[in-house]
This record gives sequence, structure tokens and C-alpha cells, in this order.
Amino acid sequence: MCIVMKHYDLLIVDDEQRFANMLAKRLRLRGCHCDICYNGQQALDLIRRKSFFLILLDLHLPDIYGIEVLKQIKIISAMTPVIILTGHGTEKDRRICMQQGAYEFWNKPLAIDELMAILARIGEAAA
Amino acid sequence: MMNRIRKIFGSIWPEFYRQDDKHLGHYLTFTDYRKIWAIGILALVVTALVPLLVVTVIHYRLLQKSVDSELILRAERLTSNARRAVTFFLEERLNALRFTVNEIAYDQLTDTDHLAEILRNLKLGFGGLTDLSVIAHTGTQAAYAGPFNLEGRDYSNQRWFIECQKHHFYVSEIFRGYRDVPHIIIAIKSFRPDGAFFILRATLDTDRLIQTLASYETGAHAEIFLINRSGIVQTSSKHHGEIFQKMTLPVPSYSQRTHVAMAEDDLGESLIVGYAFISTQIADTPFILMVIKHKAGMMQVWQQLRSNINWFVGFAVLIILVVIILTCSYMVNLLYRADKSKAQTMALMEQSNQLATIGQLAAGVAHEINNPLALINETAGYVKDLFVLKEQYQRDDELIGYIDDVLDAVERCGTITRQLLGFARKFEVKIQKVKLNEVISDVLVFHNKEAAYRNIKVYVDVTEDMPPIETDRGKLQQILVNLVNNAFQAVDNGCILYIEASPDGADKVRITISDNGCGMPEENLPKIFEPFFTTKEGNQGTGLGLAITYGLVKKLHGEIAVKSKVQEGTTFTITLPIRIGEEII
Repeated sequence: MCIVMKHYDLLIVDDEQRFANMLAKRLRLRGCHCDICYNGQQALDLIRRKSFFLILLDLHLPDIYGIEVLKQIKIISAMTPVIILTGHGTEKDRRICMQQGAYEFWNKPLAIDELMAILARIGEAAA
Repeated sequence: MMNRIRKIFGSIWPEFYRQDDKHLGHYLTFTDYRKIWAIGILALVVTALVPLLVVTVIHYRLLQKSVDSELILRAERLTSNARRAVTFFLEERLNALRFTVNEIAYDQLTDTDHLAEILRNLKLGFGGLTDLSVIAHTGTQAAYAGPFNLEGRDYSNQRWFIECQKHHFYVSEIFRGYRDVPHIIIAIKSFRPDGAFFILRATLDTDRLIQTLASYETGAHAEIFLINRSGIVQTSSKHHGEIFQKMTLPVPSYSQRTHVAMAEDDLGESLIVGYAFISTQIADTPFILMVIKHKAGMMQVWQQLRSNINWFVGFAVLIILVVIILTCSYMVNLLYRADKSKAQTMALMEQSNQLATIGQLAAGVAHEINNPLALINETAGYVKDLFVLKEQYQRDDELIGYIDDVLDAVERCGTITRQLLGFARKFEVKIQKVKLNEVISDVLVFHNKEAAYRNIKVYVDVTEDMPPIETDRGKLQQILVNLVNNAFQAVDNGCILYIEASPDGADKVRITISDNGCGMPEENLPKIFEPFFTTKEGNQGTGLGLAITYGLVKKLHGEIAVKSKVQEGTTFTITLPIRIGEEII
């Protein structure tokens, strides 16, 4: 298990609460600091107040559609990488999200090692 | 060459007979077209041919009957005439003898010179007499005139003498006698002044009688001859027995009148047999007149007619059969083609429906499964994290193995859902930058051969400053292929097809495909994009081509319009956005 030495601040936006909590727990085990939002508005509010190292964003949120949230995030904090993590992503969704500046477009289930690798890469690039 | 022959004889050996439609099985309305064909032909053949054959048979019967009755009537007339002639021949001579005995005294009769004088006179008056003799009541010949003098001969025991003595008159059968020449004896009994009787006898030459009979024989198929009452032939016949032999036919039973009946000879040949018992007013005779006609010979004209009728009926039957088979094949084939094209469309629709349904199902399943799968993945991952972190579990490979099993299973499920989503994606629009002139020349490659073969000129004009447009290349190609196909089918050989493309405002392009072909009537224009609307004959068009094109243009956020004039041509105009909007499908 790869444990990251830096305490990355991550935000998980997903309406599947149990999934979000579980993922957060796993990331915390790996040394990350995780915030969780269950809807889009809550997430945007939080992003306005706090900057994150990386955001994991689901597309199917109960209040605002994920792509709209992505656009807002890019307005609020253009530099924060956003990884889209969705249960059912169409080619169209992928294309639009990548156009809107998403860092990655992943279908669930998540391969956590891949995520950790990306975190490490972004960390190195930032340093 | 074979194709041409097959095309010409397509109606005889029609499509449905090949039974190459197994794959369409349950889409066809009727399953066994061969059976429908056979029943149709059978029903038509029965209704058309049975009355014809029945009428022909009835006609034969009627004709046969009328011919038979005509033949019998003629035979009757002939027999009756011949009978009268024979009767008259004998009667005339008997009367001559009666006149002689009544008129001339016995003494004069027995005078040989006088008798010779009488014979000469009789020969002159009637003919056919050979000799005359006077026989006394004792049976001895008293006088004789003629070439064979048998004077003094005793006839008292001879049959004719006894018969004549009994009946006063006598007519003998034809016999050879002492002279070995066929002849007839006629005799008449009279009385002398002293009361004793005497007989005047004459011998008749049969040649005259035979001549008389022969004069009634008409044509080669009729025979007239005499027989006696026991069936011995008296005047020779060609087919039914030599003279003095038994006749080959049975002897008819006695009748006073002339009779005609059908009979068969021993070879089985049909005959018309007429007969009459000859009897004069003065004396009965032993003769039966036979008139025999060979039916086969008489029927030759009728046979010819029947053969003509047979040929005609045979020819008519053949024509009727050919027409019935061709018509049936053609009709059943039409039915089959209509049914087949319906079945093909249904099969196609069902297939695309199935595909669309599978696509939707796949996307739905993937979506629904992925979320719980993600949860399982994270939970199991977390448990594994915990185990790996806690020293007491670190060495428990078995537990870690179980967790890995769960994670492996999740990974496998994830692969499956990703594949399902990939399948669903085939139904989506794929957007890329496309150069219109490239797409058009790609499409025309498909049609080069046909254009050259049919001498159709295709002019392409794409404006030079044409920007590349963002659209789905495959779908745009399909739209153009459909429209060019459509144009090719609408124009005659040697016509012209224009394909032009130019920008339309800042954010649209316009593609026009125009031809100078046959055009369409104005009332058809609103309907041409409707599914299943077609003006093409036979099974050339499904009526789906333009409907699909319309659907594709709409999918690419475009517009399609049509203008047409009969005999002038048709123009399709497509307008497509240069940048396709974000909301697709």
C-alpha cells in the first residue's frame, strides 16, 4: 500500500454517501485529508471557502448536474484538477468534460492505486 | 446469357419455387407457396378443362349417333330399292310364263318350232331366259326350246317338279344343274283341255340378276348379294363367302319387311347389315337379299372430322394449361414478392429494434450496477487496507486472499460493465472535423462505375473557402450515398448530376444535389420523407431510404428540403451546422 507522505487536501463530491465515506476512509488511511460533499451546491460553497489539491466529482448529483459543477469549479478555482468519477459515462459526457477542463474521466469502480499514482504525479509537478 | 434466360423464364420457374427464404420463416404470411401454386393450378385446370372435355365427349356421342342413324337410313333405302328390283325381275318373268300358258294352247306349246318362236319372243321382250320346256303331268319332257336339248327326260322325282305340282308356281335357288352353269328355274303349272296338268319351265340366266344387283352397289364399302334361307351364298360376294358356300355371317331370322342392323364380322369389324326376304306376288322365293356395308369405310369422313376436333381440343388444352400455369406462377410470385419484401422489412425493423433495445438495456444495466459495485470495491478495499495496516492480520494470507477474491470479482464486473457501455456507444454520434470535398469524392467513388456505364455526368462544385465542419463523418457519408443513389435511380442515361457545397451564413453549410431527371409531381413532395412511401415499381424501393436520410440529417442538427418539377428534375438541399451543438441525440 502506497502511503503518501504529504497531506493532500482532497474533496469527494458524490451523492452515494456510503461510497463517498468509504473512499474517504481509504484515502485517509493513505495519508490524505478528505472532505466530502453529497451534492453540488454544498461542494461549490466549500470550494469557495477552501482550496483543494484535487477534486473527485460525480456527474449524477441530486441538485446540479456534474458538468455544470465542473464549469463552476473551473471558474472559482481554475487550477484545481478535477477527476470525473461516474457510474455511467457516455462518450458525449467524456468529450464535454474533457473540453471543460477535467483532468481525467473515469468510470466506477475506482482503482485506488491509479488515483494515488496521479496524486503523486501532480504533487511532483507542483513541486 | 443464363441470367437473361432465367429472367425470361422467371415466371415459369418463379422465385418462390427456390425456397431460399428460410431465414424469413415466421415473418412470411404464408409458409408454403408451392402448395398455394399447386392448388391454384389444380383448381383452374379442373374448372377450365372438365367442362371442355365433357362437352367434347357429349359432342362425340351426338355426332356418332347421328352418323349411325344416317348410315342405317341409307342402308335401309338401298336394301329396299334392291329388294324391289330383284322382286320385279322375278315377278316379270313369272308373269311372262303365266301369260304364255294362258294365251297359247297346249298343242301349240308342245310344237317345238312354236316353242322356239315363243322363247325368241320372250328373250326379245324380257331377256335373261336361256331355254323353255314343257313337262307333261307324268314328269317327262314334252317339248324343249333352247341350246341344251334334254328331250324325253323324266323330272317326276325332281324337287322343283313336286313343288310346282303342289303350289302351281315355283322359283328355284340358283344351282349348277346338268350343264354346270349357275341358273334359276322358274316353273308354272297349267291344265290341258282334257284336265291333265302340264308345267312350263324356264331357265333364267343369273348374269342379268347379278348385273341388276351390281347396279345398286354404291362405292367400295357396300356389297349386295343373295343367299338362300339356309345361308348358302347365291351370287358371289367379295368378303362374305364364295358362291354356293356358307355365308360367313349368321342367317337372319324371317321378316316380311326390310331390316337393317349393326353387326360385327369375325374380325371384329363393324358392319351395317340390311336384309330382305324376297317374295313375289305370284310365288314365294328362297332368296334373301343381303346388303352389307363396312362401317369403317363409311366413317372415313367422320374419322377425319374427329381427328380435326381432337387436334383442336388438344391444342386448346395445351394453351389453357400454359396460360393457367403462367398466370398462376405470375400471381403467386407477385404475392410472394410482396410478402417477402414485407417480411424483410419486418425482420430488419425487428433487428434494429432489438439492437436499440440491447443498447438501452446495456447502458441502464451498466449504470445501475456500477454504483453498488463501486461501493463494494471501496468497502472491500478499506477492509483490506485495515488488514494490511494491522500487524496481527498482516501475516494472515488467507484473509487477505479472501479480500483479494472480492476485489478481483469487482474488477471483473467492472470490465463487463465497461464492455456493455462500449456496445451502447455504437449508437451514438461520433463527432470529428470533416472536409466536405473529401466526403463527397469518397461517396462518388461508389458511383463512378455506374456513372461511366450509364454516361451520367457528375459535376462537383465545393467553394474553395469552405471551412471544415464538425459532424459525424459516417452519417454524413450515408446521407450523401442515399441522395446520390436516389438521383441515379431517377435519371435516364446521359443525364447530369450536380453536387454543390457552399457556406450558408457564418455557421452553416449548404449542400445541394440536383439532377435533370424525371422529377416528381408536386403532390408527392410532402410525402417523400415518410417511411414506406415509394413511387418505385416492384420491389426496387422499400420507401425507407429518404426516411432514413431525413432521420440522419436531423441527428446531425441539419435540415433537408426538396424541390422538384416533373420532366425538369429534382434538387435536394441539406443545411448542416459548421459546429454541432453540445446537445446531441
